[in-house]
Amino acid sequence: MTETLTGRPDTPLPIAHHPVRDVLTGPVGSIGITLIIVLVAGLALIGPRFLSASNVTIAGQFVAIPMLIGGFASFALLAGVVDLSIGSIAGVAAAILGALLVNGWDIASAITLTLAACLLFGAINATAIVGFNADPIAATLGMLTGLRGATYVIVEAYGQSGSLFAFHDGLFALTNLMVWSLPLIFLVALGVTAVAAVIVGKTRLGRHTRAVGGDALAASRAGISVARVRTGALLLSALGAGLGGVLYVGQLGAVSRNLGFGLEFQVYAALMIGGFSILRGGVGSPAGGALGFLVIAGAANILDLSGISPYYVNIIVGMLLLAAVLLDRLRGGDAYE
Amino acid sequence: MEGQSRSSIRSLAAAAAATTILGAGYATDAAAQDKFKLGMAVGGNPCCEWMKAQGDVARALAEQRGWDYIELSNNDDAATALKNAGIFIQEGVDAVIQFNGQPSSNPALAQRFGAAGIPVVTYDIAQPGFYFVGIDNLAAGLAGGEALGKIIKEKWNCQPDLVISAEGAAAGIVNEWRTGGMRDGLKKVCPDIPAEKWVSFESQGQATVGLPAARDLLAAHPDAKRMAVVGLNDGGVLAAINAAEQLGRADEIIGWGQDGAFITGDNVNPHLAGSVFYFLEGYAVYAFRDVIDPIAAGNPPPMKDTAGDPASRVEPCPVSAEEAAKVPDMPERVKLLLAAPPGTTEYQLFCPNK
Amino acid sequence: MADHAIGHAASAGRPGMRFRLDGWGTAAVVALAWVALVAVSAIHRADFVSHQTVLAITFTMSIVGVLAVGQALVGISGGFLDLSQPTSLILTALVASRLLALGLDPILVIPITLAVGAAWGLLNALIIVYGKLNPVIVTLATNFIGLAALFLIFQIAEAPIGSAFRAFGRGSFLGLPNIWWPMVALILIVGFLLPRTRYGRHAIAVGGNRFAAQARGISLRKTRFAIFVASGICAAMAGLLFAASSGPFTPASGTVYLLPVIAASILAGVSLGGGRGNIWLIMLSVGFLSTVPTALVFFGLTSDWQAIFQGVILMVAVAIDGYREKWVAR
Repeated sequence: MTETLTGRPDTPLPIAHHPVRDVLTGPVGSIGITLIIVLVAGLALIGPRFLSASNVTIAGQFVAIPMLIGGFASFALLAGVVDLSIGSIAGVAAAILGALLVNGWDIASAITLTLAACLLFGAINATAIVGFNADPIAATLGMLTGLRGATYVIVEAYGQSGSLFAFHDGLFALTNLMVWSLPLIFLVALGVTAVAAVIVGKTRLGRHTRAVGGDALAASRAGISVARVRTGALLLSALGAGLGGVLYVGQLGAVSRNLGFGLEFQVYAALMIGGFSILRGGVGSPAGGALGFLVIAGAANILDLSGISPYYVNIIVGMLLLAAVLLDRLRGGDAYE
Repeated sequence: MEGQSRSSIRSLAAAAAATTILGAGYATDAAAQDKFKLGMAVGGNPCCEWMKAQGDVARALAEQRGWDYIELSNNDDAATALKNAGIFIQEGVDAVIQFNGQPSSNPALAQRFGAAGIPVVTYDIAQPGFYFVGIDNLAAGLAGGEALGKIIKEKWNCQPDLVISAEGAAAGIVNEWRTGGMRDGLKKVCPDIPAEKWVSFESQGQATVGLPAARDLLAAHPDAKRMAVVGLNDGGVLAAINAAEQLGRADEIIGWGQDGAFITGDNVNPHLAGSVFYFLEGYAVYAFRDVIDPIAAGNPPPMKDTAGDPASRVEPCPVSAEEAAKVPDMPERVKLLLAAPPGTTEYQLFCPNK
Repeated sequence: MADHAIGHAASAGRPGMRFRLDGWGTAAVVALAWVALVAVSAIHRADFVSHQTVLAITFTMSIVGVLAVGQALVGISGGFLDLSQPTSLILTALVASRLLALGLDPILVIPITLAVGAAWGLLNALIIVYGKLNPVIVTLATNFIGLAALFLIFQIAEAPIGSAFRAFGRGSFLGLPNIWWPMVALILIVGFLLPRTRYGRHAIAVGGNRFAAQARGISLRKTRFAIFVASGICAAMAGLLFAASSGPFTPASGTVYLLPVIAASILAGVSLGGGRGNIWLIMLSVGFLSTVPTALVFFGLTSDWQAIFQGVILMVAVAIDGYREKWVAR
């Protein structure tokens, strides 16, 4: 947040954290204001049904899984490694789960095996990045490409004509369950965010993660195992993506060839609005990330309901992305010189 | 710092006040919902011109009838299609037309729309419970394949060096019908082409995206000269043709496409011998005539949800490149269609060999 | 990333008054990998080594190579990534195609197209410099907006079929594609000029340690503007080559280039933290990455399996390179 004059401009001084002050003045404060603007705009342009349970459910069900994946992936960003393969891990996880279900596996074993596979992919990422010092973007790009192919192969093999139908009553019911008129998965995603925020802000693990992302050299001199933190973050990121894939199978009842394709861009755009950086570790808070998702979901919902031709939607969302980060910057967020 | 928290509280208070005031003013907007409301979910895949045009035509027809019209894009994504369904249901549409490029989500959509009692027209990809409006892709494939077969029988005595299939796996069953259908149609005319001459590459249905893969395929068969190309669509076939041009082997390559996207206008590749028009952009005329208008009149037609027995059948129009020269390109066709008497289809207006 | 910046801040100040192949280690790894790939493929099928194969690979190299130069410039100078290349590629290709269709002479079309690319780069630079926003976010957003805007403007475009421009795009010179040679020239020239001109050295210095560079009197703003305009011009050049050599394209046709270009840039030793990278290595990295899919076809793999192997090969290559850098080069 503050730039130092120590000649290492990319690393913030460690500041004592006052939770309340951070919330209101940090990235969360400005993204929170952006969200309020979006909500007010929604009410003005759409009317009271914008905040009705039905509408929040629609937007919530759509944003829940990306938000969940983002919550898990944010640890990797904090630790200074960006995992670009989260979309493809989600896709291949859905494909693996679908294939297992189609072959008669029971849901518990199928999910276990699927998540184990995702941890394996995360471990491979970690081996390359932490063990071999490969560039994280290039390495996870390779994983992204490889798993894309794996998804195609699995869907081709176990599906029909490019779709793998894998409907499971229990999982479908769970992903569509409503609690207090809101989707359960949306509440779970928010819950994950809250837990992540606590871990990042209040636990030693969180401090270590931020330290590793902020200045790996200093962190290792302080006795923190950079390798362990980054490995853990990559495993967590893969696990979260796998969970997302499992939930997609529940929600959609089927796996398409391109499931998860481009999801990483969606997720990181939202996290960046929320204050994370994909090229610099140590900055960002899970709460900000979640707000970033909500801002985009809210804006997209306004555009969906307002009768604007869908071809203008992306233009407006892109401008909002710029506006949100500009607002964050004006309120004292990181300036890129 | 205190100033910051005070200003945050102030903004919250402002938001609350604004909400109350605006909320009161908009309490009445729910009242007048008597007009027929049509929802359209366009495919949203940036590959193809006709996806946007499908929405434009539906919008124009709905406006002609004075209906309310909501258009959303499926963004070629299953989760988005599901979200759009939720929005259509919430907004109280009376009927939905969709092109769903990710049909894996169709069962979930059918369940939602069915529970809400909203009738759905689906283009080209069948789903039990959705009115099927569209082409018989298999028949279109066969027709194209036979036409190409006749050409290579005449020119090469049914002895090509390669028969290249430009696949588009993402199109799922439509790819199997069209590309597979073209192969079968060709085989009907030239049954004795040996198995190893049938090769394929993944074109993704686009001329530029499929180009490197086509180049690699041709490089792996360096001695092939006489090449026949079939594929998912004109774009895929052109990927192979353009690759041959780049590798200096375009002298004896002949392709026959599907969907007619690149067979009109004055920039037609000379190696594209023909295509099959579906006039995809004009599907709405069929949908309105045979399904939506009756529903709006309170007279829903019987459910017909398969390509073999559709609620409304669109005829394919196979054309050679010469015949296609008379057909205007898509933006022009849309204009003429909307100016024509209601119920006139593009097939009636433009197909040169009905 | 910050680790690299620390290590290279010292060397970024004087990037080579005499000839020095920076990043020779990475070059060796990539070259070896390339040779190994060709050897294995040739053993599997002798006709892998043929003029047709060379043509196929060099055509693939051309567009990616030119874009990778722009991407590498951005990375070396501390601009991280230019994620808006898919838009600038298609925008410039569209301008070129439409102008040619109107009958304009290529002599005019080329500079106009390059100017459009420069203007796009300028747009990015204005938002980045005056908004002081992270280039990754800015170019992500401008790409998003640009694609959507392009989709409203056109859906299909192609260079006129009978034109000399299009014939150029498909022809060859000395056995290699016409469009390949401008790519080689660009790499050689930019790679030569970057460490030897004042502006080039400024860009490297800014990428290495922008505070030190500023302290030396280098204008960060001017450098940023120059770099993103240069990236835009590279994209325009790629757009011209693309329009000349491809069939009909859509607004989204450029998207498929983004990831391969980033991979090529990284494999050429460009550190996204800035200050490090050798443009000449792009020849090797693009060459290697373009050979992979072709080789896989010769092995008879379907395109689905090709993606798997491409991913594995990329991961192995960067793992080896990272290992070498961490344990061997020090």
